[in-house]
Amino acid sequence: MNEFGYSNVVREMEVYGYDSVVKSHCRMCHGGCGVLIYLKDGKVAKIAGDPDCPINHGTLCSKGIASAQLAYHPDRLTYPMRRIGPKASGKWERITWDDALNTIAERILDYKERFGAESIVPGYGTGRDNEAVIYRFSNLLGTPNVLTAGHFCYGPRIATSILTCGTNPIVDYENYPKCLMVWGNNLTISNPDCYKGEPFSVSVDKGAKLIAVDPRLTKIAARADIWLQLRPGTDTALALGMINVIVNEGLYDREFVENYVHGWEPFVERVKEYPVSKVEKITWVPAEKIKEAARLFATIKPAAIQWGVAIEQQINCADNNRSLMALMGITGNIDIPGGQMLFSPPKIRNVGQFGAHKQLPKEQAAKRLGGERFRLAGNFAIINPKCVWDAIIEEKPYPVKMLFFISSNPLMTRANAREVYKALEKVEFMAVSDFFLTPTAELADIVLPAATWLEMDYIGDFWKRHGHILPRRKAISVGECRSDHEMLNDLAHRVGQAEYWWNSFEGGLDYILEPMGITWQDLKKIDFIRGEVKYQKYKERGFSTPTKKFELSSTLLEKWGYDPLPQYREAPESPVSKPELHKDYPYILITGRRLPGFFHTENRQVPWLRELHRDPIVEIHPEAARNEGIQEGDWVVIESQRGKVKQRAKLFEGMDPRIVSAEHAWWFPEKKEPGHGWDESNINILTDNAYETCDPAMGATNVRTLLCKIYPEEK
Amino acid sequence: MKKHSLIIDNESCWGCKTCEVACKQENMAPEGVKLIYVSEDGPRKIDGILDLQFHVNVCQQCDDPPCSDACPEAAIYKREDGIVVMYYKQCSGCGLCIDACTYDAISFDPGKAIAQKCNLCYHRVDQGLLPACADNVCPAHCIYFGDPMDIQAQIAEKHRAWAKEKNGQTIERS
Repeated sequence: MNEFGYSNVVREMEVYGYDSVVKSHCRMCHGGCGVLIYLKDGKVAKIAGDPDCPINHGTLCSKGIASAQLAYHPDRLTYPMRRIGPKASGKWERITWDDALNTIAERILDYKERFGAESIVPGYGTGRDNEAVIYRFSNLLGTPNVLTAGHFCYGPRIATSILTCGTNPIVDYENYPKCLMVWGNNLTISNPDCYKGEPFSVSVDKGAKLIAVDPRLTKIAARADIWLQLRPGTDTALALGMINVIVNEGLYDREFVENYVHGWEPFVERVKEYPVSKVEKITWVPAEKIKEAARLFATIKPAAIQWGVAIEQQINCADNNRSLMALMGITGNIDIPGGQMLFSPPKIRNVGQFGAHKQLPKEQAAKRLGGERFRLAGNFAIINPKCVWDAIIEEKPYPVKMLFFISSNPLMTRANAREVYKALEKVEFMAVSDFFLTPTAELADIVLPAATWLEMDYIGDFWKRHGHILPRRKAISVGECRSDHEMLNDLAHRVGQAEYWWNSFEGGLDYILEPMGITWQDLKKIDFIRGEVKYQKYKERGFSTPTKKFELSSTLLEKWGYDPLPQYREAPESPVSKPELHKDYPYILITGRRLPGFFHTENRQVPWLRELHRDPIVEIHPEAARNEGIQEGDWVVIESQRGKVKQRAKLFEGMDPRIVSAEHAWWFPEKKEPGHGWDESNINILTDNAYETCDPAMGATNVRTLLCKIYPEEK
Repeated sequence: MKKHSLIIDNESCWGCKTCEVACKQENMAPEGVKLIYVSEDGPRKIDGILDLQFHVNVCQQCDDPPCSDACPEAAIYKREDGIVVMYYKQCSGCGLCIDACTYDAISFDPGKAIAQKCNLCYHRVDQGLLPACADNVCPAHCIYFGDPMDIQAQIAEKHRAWAKEKNGQTIERS
């Protein structure tokens, strides 16, 4: 670009007089992007993408750029506090770290002695590079109960992919897939997990054929060659219908199927139950379009499926994932360049090893809440949230006495929020570590000030499956804030775990890196480390599954008493499964479309980000809006059997008129009373968490599709 | 003199709004004032097919800028390199430029009672730096800065790569 060059660090430093620049690794979402932090007078002056980073190639998202506004926010928690009034009274007093951690430690030791370690439930929200320390702490404590989003976010992908092919198949954007099927994912807005919008965007620009599977029109769907506009919750049926076409027309990869697949015959029998004529009726997608998409996906190589969380927050969670992996497998796209790679991580201690799962005594693991009901989840140390609420409220099968949420706001993000509130109100003791006094934190006994990514040293993307690790280098300090890792390292010493921890958490980083023969100080000097890249490793050593094959029929699920083959289940609350209810609640409600700037409950107090999206928005088709007397911008009531909330209507033609699409995780930090409006627009007031509505193997809560009515506020 | 211009390939925009925040970080426009913003165009049916576009609104650095003509304070100049600069110190906040702009690209800052617009980060450009939004922040790589002829050629090349069959018809994208 003529005399101008991208990311001209030297010139930037000269012109603005910055003191230094720190290369680091953003974690405003799950993280992943390399960043340059420009510092002046000890403060962050500018954040830009790192052009040398293999993940984002210098680009960034709105959240990453606005990180300094989060770090320096006037409302941030900057010292520990103890609640001195009733729960949600908003009455707090400042205490020291020693006081806070000693109080938490005393409670932990007391409950452990009186009720068993299982009565203490640590938890985190979505993956924030802290899961390994939280599991380590919990396993060493002896509690099998760590409450995470893992039952319905990413955990299912890990669990089902380990069952099917040994690890999570990651789209190999580096080698430009020629066909991309984006399934329930809006990655150019969300940049999820192992994926960033930038490399996807480049593949599309290079001419990759694009298939979008989504009930609502995204820009990806608008740009797609084929958009499969399915009825919400019918993904498994659609995938099996596509596989039916691929099998019937002989479009599958014979060599792969004959040599590397387990369970082909029974799988084909199962797939025969899903002819496109039937699948059209289930999914609302015309049979011809299903065929067209199946043929396109199966006949272009390399092809890949860009998938995400939407299909996991359903009753078909595990089988949605397994059907998509079946599509990847039988078309021969597993572990090939530009396909779906089974990347190897660098030779470090991985999340599982660091998490010390082997240290949890068997008799404690057997007490995992819901472990007997949700056996796939239980085998991956994941629990269903309702099991915890029940154990608090009804003390069954045993009482849970203490919660310790670390970067988690379950009041906003877990299904059936009224029940969550009841449980948080009742629990005897709760500690919360977070950036702000969130609606969840307002119910805590002790709150701890958590460090943002700008304030910590860590091995970024340590838990991911794209085969890279990247140093996150501390650039600043804010108040008394501590990283989750440092905080737990300290607390562990106070509950008798000293021998398994370190004087400072840098020792933990060295421990992770030890198998590579390097230390944190070594990693800090380089940009990233990548595991060995090899294609079609299964040809040499098979897949890391019990049969060493790609398991279309899962031997482990069979062993655990489940159907080993994927099957479609009707959503627990749909026009088909609940026709009577549908008369009173005539719309299918989908939730949780992704928004620029926010990450679930986060960032609504960050001015540059809130400015992108002021209010909670519910999308309604213009036809439906006319029928309901709703106009653009109206505050409207959305109501399910379980409750009602308000959001502002946006007339949106890009979906079936029978569907309404609401946003999730809305609270209002600008409302200063302690509830911060947690129940005004929180869509989880409407969602259900009854066990029978959850995925039978994974315990995933079905928050993505239910029945609702919608009407103007004054009615 | 080489012309400078900022050109957006709107068809490639995913609507992520990174450019808005990159601009805020650089220019510190107050809340409610956006020198660049992404608006949603649609969804709407075109020949029976639902389409959705995003449009990045920003000063077009017009060849013959009507905002400049409209300004009674002569606060808006077009420089030789093509950049149209609004000098805030001279602005009286009358708002005539806002009415004159056909691109809806001028904002009013009620705090300072002045108009504001994208000055193409001329304070950076003059120092050899790219405008904040064009400095490789965009994940879609759809924001270009440089000579307008070169940019149009680049965009056309990119579109040729992804112009393709859609519902049986080849859609030519310009």
